[in-house]
Amino acid sequence: MKKNVVWWPAVVNTEHTDKYGGYEYFQYSRKTWEYWCERNDCLFVPFTEPVEEDLFRYRINWQKAIFLFDELEKRGIEYDQIALVDSSFMIRHDTPNFFEMTDRRFTAWRDMDNMRWIYYSIQGYKDIFDGFELDMSKYVNSGFMVFNEEHKDLFQRFKQFYIDNIDEFIKLQDETVKKGTEQTPMNYWLQTNQVDVNTDLPLPFKLTHLQRKTLFHYNWQLNEDKTPFFIKYGYNCSFNGIPKDNRTNMMRQAWELTKHNYNIETIKSDKILDTMPHKDTAKYTTSRKFKEDIFKTFSDEKYKDLTMLELGSCQGNSTLVYSNVFKKVYGVEKDKWNIEQAELKCKGVSNVEFINADVYSPNWDFPQVDVVMIDAGHTYEHVKHDIEKVVNYFNNPIIIMDDYGNPNVEIKRAIDEAISSGLVTKGPHIGEVSGFKTAAGWVMNDREGIILNYE
Amino acid sequence: MMDIDLGGDGRYSSSRRAAYKYSIDSWKKWCDKNDCRLFVLNDLVLEKEKMAICWQRYYLFDILDANEIEYDQVLMIDADTIVHPDCPNFFDMSEGKLCGAQFDGSWDWVLRSIENYSKYAFDNYMMPWWKYFDCGFVLVNKNHKQFYNDIINYYFTNQNTLIQLQDTFHVGTDQTPVNMLVHQREINLKLLPYEFNMSDMARKEILGDDLLFTKVGWIYQYNAIPNNKDNQLTNHFIKKTYEHFYGELNE
Repeated sequence: MKKNVVWWPAVVNTEHTDKYGGYEYFQYSRKTWEYWCERNDCLFVPFTEPVEEDLFRYRINWQKAIFLFDELEKRGIEYDQIALVDSSFMIRHDTPNFFEMTDRRFTAWRDMDNMRWIYYSIQGYKDIFDGFELDMSKYVNSGFMVFNEEHKDLFQRFKQFYIDNIDEFIKLQDETVKKGTEQTPMNYWLQTNQVDVNTDLPLPFKLTHLQRKTLFHYNWQLNEDKTPFFIKYGYNCSFNGIPKDNRTNMMRQAWELTKHNYNIETIKSDKILDTMPHKDTAKYTTSRKFKEDIFKTFSDEKYKDLTMLELGSCQGNSTLVYSNVFKKVYGVEKDKWNIEQAELKCKGVSNVEFINADVYSPNWDFPQVDVVMIDAGHTYEHVKHDIEKVVNYFNNPIIIMDDYGNPNVEIKRAIDEAISSGLVTKGPHIGEVSGFKTAAGWVMNDREGIILNYE
Repeated sequence: MMDIDLGGDGRYSSSRRAAYKYSIDSWKKWCDKNDCRLFVLNDLVLEKEKMAICWQRYYLFDILDANEIEYDQVLMIDADTIVHPDCPNFFDMSEGKLCGAQFDGSWDWVLRSIENYSKYAFDNYMMPWWKYFDCGFVLVNKNHKQFYNDIINYYFTNQNTLIQLQDTFHVGTDQTPVNMLVHQREINLKLLPYEFNMSDMARKEILGDDLLFTKVGWIYQYNAIPNNKDNQLTNHFIKKTYEHFYGELNE
């Protein structure tokens, strides 16, 4: 089956080891892209062995472009769209899937960092393209581009053009112009061939020259969050435009700050969570962190065969999470429309069953389960009632509670009293922390949730 | 355009205004060529103590109406700019939307500004930061009259907070709040290419006595220049650019 492909050139050129201060930086780029590909069901294809051994006549920047389609076919890789991305880029773990945004057009991002360099590069290559007047306002960066099979012929002809003029190109890049390798010729090639280039994707997908853009800084005026801006606001950042021998050091630091987000083991849950709304944007659900913590807290094998009942399943967002954690999940909801929505969300999920019932009816007729989520009435009296009834009805179940840190209701008081009276035992807190602002506009004054009887 | 003598050290101090005449004349020539009318505001609408001059430009529609000027679209442009004589007619590119130009300068300043205003004046609302534009180039039409009224109302509703923010953080006056309002109120926005408001040119390494910037774009804004004591470099480049295109100014 055809998959979207990330083509990642990273060839060690031993003659340039000093210039780059080594090639250790490859590993940091690679880790981020491998994770992102796994999370987005794409194929990560590293290009680490050159096609042409002569790296002087065939610079890696040329090889990455002109041999791309040959290599994919040689390796028997069936591809849908292809992202060519330099190994100086690190992609943020939760970057949206840009393949879904291209409209299947050749997609690239404008380059206007050092406009003097770009201007003279354009002038320098003008003659080899028969004096073509290149539109500088459409000049793109060739370190990150997305295209597809329709562009194969474009690249193959680009290869032939390079080979036919190789000596002149080498002279231009090494002696005459000395402004880049394949990037400006690629721009001429795109424009002379009148390629429809999509440059509409937002800047965070291609952040280059971070130092020039002052994105290594953080907001020292508020001094609340010392995360550098490029990590906070960028999706795909290139560590270029800095002294090349600093690259490894800079990328290592970026990796150290962010590596906890690239956990291959949580990709399955991350993918599920990517598909659903969370408390920062939707009123009637839990936060992403709450759901992540559910996955983490019940990740051990011993929980896999447990059954679970959710009192107040609402529109089924949490239900979908629980269905991936426990063997069987029952969602109790009194509103029929909510059940319809929940069933739509859980369509095709075999271990979920919804029960149309009022939690506050005197006679419960629910199956016996091992875990209960209480998320029905939100008054002190409701929650007190729910905890007592759950403890009496079920056999010492694990209880998951939401809205512990909601300042508008007294859920916390009811829970704390149940703990202090010995009715339940206190387990770990889960979810967001005090200060978190919800889509409904209120701000948490404590942790979002708590698990009772966990041990 | 605004060219008001306020004295003192600010945007309209004598040293900063010294070269505005070149800017104004370049725009006059461009307007003549493109069948547009140039309007230069020389008087304050309100006392500067009541409203800083940058905010007063959002009285634009009232000012035009008061002067009985009929208009189609209106470009609000800073007086520290020079326009290339062959600059394409951006009024033809607006698609009826509010237009700015792509910004790509000091993102540290912009992001601090957005975060600070977000926290203290916009109830934590965050705009898409990559759509930030410099308010030195804003193109509007009659449909934006209400929005400009909203900006003025927003100012007076939040005046104390805004002044305090300006004085505390020094990350702009009207520009970031207006950017935030555009997005918060879902005003249809079009960003023209950077070439239509080339701010922070030194950062892009095109600001120099070879006037390279005149070869790569259309409207030049001489801001964010390092070591620009008493605006000497701004004035130098405005004059030099003007004379490059138009020769000596006939005063």
